[in-house]
Amino acid sequence: MAANLEEFLLSPAVWQPQSSGAAVRLKHALGPLGVYTAGSTLLRTQWEAGGGKLPTHLIDLTAIPGLDRIAVQNGELIIGATARLNDCSSHPVVMERAPLLADAIRQIAGWSVRNQATLGGNAASRVGDAVPALLALDACLVWHDGEKQYTEHIAEWLSVQNWPGMLEWVETRDTIGLRLLTSIRIPLPDEYTTKQTRRWFAYHKAGRREAFMPSLVTAAVAAEVGEDGAFADIRITAGGGRTVPLRLTEAERLLRGRRPEAAALRQVHEAVREQYVPEPDPFATDDYRKLTLANLIAAELWKRK
Amino acid sequence: MALNRETSGNRWRIRPDGPGKVTGGLAYLTDLSAPNMLHGLVLRSPHAHARIAEVRTEEALALPGVHAVLTHADVPGLNRFGIAHPDHPVFCEERVRFVGDAVAAVAADSAELAMEALARIEVDYEYLPVVSDPELAMREDAPQLHERGNIQHRNDYVRGDVEAAFAASAHIVEDTYETPRQMHTYMETEGGLFVPEADGRLTVYSATQHGLMDRMQLARILARPEADIRIVSSPIGGSFGGKDELNVQPYGALLALACGRPVKLHNNRFESVRAGLKRHPMRITMKTGVDAGGKLLAHRVRIVSDAGPYSTLSAEVLNFAVEHTLGAYRYEAVEVRSFCVFTNNGMSGEFRGFGGNQALFALEGQLDRLADKLGIDPWELRRRNLRQRGDPGPFEQPIAQTDGARQVWEALPASRLWLERAEAAAAAEAAPAAPTASAAPAAPLGMTPDADLRSASSGTAEAATLQLPWLKIGYGASFVMHGAGLGVGIPDPAGGRLTLAPDGKIEAAFGYEEFGQGLIASLEQMLIEKFGFAGSDLRLVVGDTDAVPDSGSSTASRATSMMWQALERMREPFAHSLLQVASRVLVLPKERLRIGEGGVCDAASGERLLAYRELAQSAAEPIACETSFSYPASPVERVGAHYLYTYCSVGVKVEVNTLTGRVRVLDQFHAVAAGPVVNPQGFLGQIEGGASMALGFTLTEDAVMNSGMYLTRNLDSYLVPTIAEQRGRVEVLPIEELPDGDAHGPRGIGEVGSVGLAPAIAQAVFNAVGKRVSKLPIDPAELQEVPDIVKEGSCPV
Ligand SMILES: Cc1cc2nc3c(=O)[nH]c(=O)nc-3n(C[C@H](O)[C@H](O)[C@H](O)COP(=O)(O)OP(=O)(O)OC[C@H]3O[C@@H](n4cnc5c(N)ncnc54)[C@H](O)[C@@H]3O)c2cc1C
Repeated sequence: MAANLEEFLLSPAVWQPQSSGAAVRLKHALGPLGVYTAGSTLLRTQWEAGGGKLPTHLIDLTAIPGLDRIAVQNGELIIGATARLNDCSSHPVVMERAPLLADAIRQIAGWSVRNQATLGGNAASRVGDAVPALLALDACLVWHDGEKQYTEHIAEWLSVQNWPGMLEWVETRDTIGLRLLTSIRIPLPDEYTTKQTRRWFAYHKAGRREAFMPSLVTAAVAAEVGEDGAFADIRITAGGGRTVPLRLTEAERLLRGRRPEAAALRQVHEAVREQYVPEPDPFATDDYRKLTLANLIAAELWKRK
Repeated sequence: MALNRETSGNRWRIRPDGPGKVTGGLAYLTDLSAPNMLHGLVLRSPHAHARIAEVRTEEALALPGVHAVLTHADVPGLNRFGIAHPDHPVFCEERVRFVGDAVAAVAADSAELAMEALARIEVDYEYLPVVSDPELAMREDAPQLHERGNIQHRNDYVRGDVEAAFAASAHIVEDTYETPRQMHTYMETEGGLFVPEADGRLTVYSATQHGLMDRMQLARILARPEADIRIVSSPIGGSFGGKDELNVQPYGALLALACGRPVKLHNNRFESVRAGLKRHPMRITMKTGVDAGGKLLAHRVRIVSDAGPYSTLSAEVLNFAVEHTLGAYRYEAVEVRSFCVFTNNGMSGEFRGFGGNQALFALEGQLDRLADKLGIDPWELRRRNLRQRGDPGPFEQPIAQTDGARQVWEALPASRLWLERAEAAAAAEAAPAAPTASAAPAAPLGMTPDADLRSASSGTAEAATLQLPWLKIGYGASFVMHGAGLGVGIPDPAGGRLTLAPDGKIEAAFGYEEFGQGLIASLEQMLIEKFGFAGSDLRLVVGDTDAVPDSGSSTASRATSMMWQALERMREPFAHSLLQVASRVLVLPKERLRIGEGGVCDAASGERLLAYRELAQSAAEPIACETSFSYPASPVERVGAHYLYTYCSVGVKVEVNTLTGRVRVLDQFHAVAAGPVVNPQGFLGQIEGGASMALGFTLTEDAVMNSGMYLTRNLDSYLVPTIAEQRGRVEVLPIEELPDGDAHGPRGIGEVGSVGLAPAIAQAVFNAVGKRVSKLPIDPAELQEVPDIVKEGSCPV
């Protein structure tokens, strides 16, 4: 029947490569016509908003055996790119040793979306709510370029300017857009620590309602606190909306080696507002978002006292 | 006694449509399909305002599998719709006036093909200037959207000498209140199945709040007799006023008739947002004066309502708003000027509360501001000005008298929430606020006793036990007097029918709709409690114009009241007929019989003597009873004035997080004086559900437009409250008592729950942080502060 044929022609072909290498080679062959898809939850929203235009070929990454594995190896937590968000946040090792990430994930979308969405898809979008947490945890990304795997620090990847935007990605031939994220590696604290410091972290996502909303501001803090209450080390990160997450280096500098006393909080508050330049959002002003971020970070530090 | 499952005992019933809805087994009308069915889609204007130069449909029609492409030239009857003022084009002829305006419609073998066909329709537009600000639209030099001008409707009400009353006032407050373009956000978007029948009739399976009105409107568009059209319209996955007006029906009907095949249309969420109705955004300026004793002297109101491009019920909503900007209070003199204005924004229309929500936010805001000036408790100020029993209504019209106003006023101070508030105030007085708490002018409660409950913050367990100085608690209340029924000047018929069907079922037929409010649950409960039937004896028939009498619309909080009235009228005659026949069959005097579960029973022992099936078989002719009457109206000339009112008091407790400026509602109390509770679960559901819509209206919801284009195109940016917003407690206290001899029975409760919460929250926010909010939804930026912990000279503890 004409209708069925038409329908068939309009729906994309779904490829299910069996290895990361095969997936990347497929992507090279298909070019802009092929799109990596994991949970397809982000892609779906783009197709819908764009009037339902589907790509011609979907490269389904969830078929790759083992790509969703979560494991601990050589003192690192390794999360496969296609691990589902709910599987990540409820994984015992993640909950115990990277609770910051578990916290961040629990604030992404709603339960049913998290059952389908992957951590790799969230990270690959660059503006996912897990990204500030991954950045604060000093994570590394493992890529496959079709021939080999290699590791890149997440901060390095995020600092690349002019990264093809999420939508444009579908259309560019940019080689960065061709590679495949295979896993995320997160350094773990020593389990039986002999160090004199304690780990401390905080995560906030602020939006226009309490849950299941796009973020206006996300903030993550991960720190090592000495016995004297001073920060031996601290990483503070911020994202929100379409803002690519970044380290708030000035605030970090102000805090390193110090306790979060009044003077330090004041300086940090100011430094955060200075350094954070969010991408514009139609529903909130930049000033509101800057102040929200500074307030949330200062408040977390104050609670630390 | 608070209304809940426990206090309701065995009156708390499982609703008949409950299991199907919970399991997903129930099919809505948009779930239906038919053999040989086509898929319809509507081509809508991408522009807020443009002239149509040319429409070319040939390419779309040439696509194999496309069966019809229709434009205005294909409308046989009136190319307009609109319940009260039909000026909304089915298809635009030479001009589009908003981004949802329809230009063409297609039917094709599949939805994908229909989409492709839409893409092949070529429309040449010439842009026209977009009129998006109602204030500017009223100016004479503004581009005019209609021949009659941009002012769709005006309604003024003047009584007494306002200038003199202001001159005599000791205190005057003036403010402008703005309310959002709220979306109904029903789960089931607009849609339906349209089936041309073999006998030449057309069956329309599509949601509405008034099947007979849809039938009349469609007959007018199709140029066919009403009798040729059958509307099946329930069950509905939510409406809230949003599906009362026609939406997809004209297109489905025209396409189905053009193709001679069933056609299905179902808006996706994007299209629903774009084409659907919203609550009228209103700007209400109020200036109100009191004497030194707090007696209201002068009240001046100016309302500007954004109607969007066409009329629908905008005039009626404005009339309602006018009445409710006066509300429950007595004044020496009042002056209301109001305007409903055409713009190129989205369509505004009917929405639960019907203009009362906007009006009350402003009116109650004025009372709170005045109380502050007077230095008295806001609730006391209301007492000093409330209409008393015996007083007329807001337009000085005669109304049905109750003690509702006094009763709900007294209920609030006696409530658990208000006792807690009094304790908190006493505690704060005994121990002055800690130094870290900001010294907000009217925040006597200072630091919150609540722990940080946000799941968002984490890291340390001890954080949860800290008292966080940036969380501020406040309490606020509002008083509601809300009219029900369509009001003076609008035909407001009611009626129903009871039949003992041949199969022995007691059939209750009403022209009302089940859109989730629990209408059939209430009908079932009334039949059980008023007559003595069992649930299994009944067949409830609603939402089918071939099967129901004219009961009027399921709007304006009227359906349950009118079913109650109808059953009151039919109880004696119907029971009499049943027992009369039973007495003949059983050869027993009628006095020894009564209606029972499953059949006619022995009046003394309760033993069942004759099953309804047997009774039906032995009756020589069908036993039936029908009634028709009108919703009671006030004997005045003032259009829209109401006769029956529901009174509520609403108390809330909020927490303001001054780091983010976000407000959480922690606790709510609603006292509702509306006569007897027909169905406890339904009553609670209406108040809680209405309140949750009000929560969205106050905190998160706004369909934001820029130059006539929606910025919030979907539910990822248009944010309705989630369960996380509703974690707080809700206590509902029904006040059932009515004056002796009251003939009107249960009053409407379908809307009141959605009306009073916004002003109560606004006052609670003021109580917490000392800031007045006059624009909804509340902008967190207005409440955000630099916390004391980072302020110079502060000493964090
Ligand atoms: C209702 C809803 C709510 C949402 N709320 C949130 C939210 O609150 N916070 C948030 O962060 N996100 C949210 N999202 C977006 C999305 O669900 C998440 O970002 C999710 O983690 C994406 O994962 P996915 O597996 O579904 O990605 P996909 O949609 O499959 O892919 C996303 C993008 O990444 C690319 N990609 C996927 N995997 C790889 C890989 N391994 N290597 C290279 N490229 C890859 C895809 O080509 C695509 O461009 C929401 C989505 C929906 C539908």
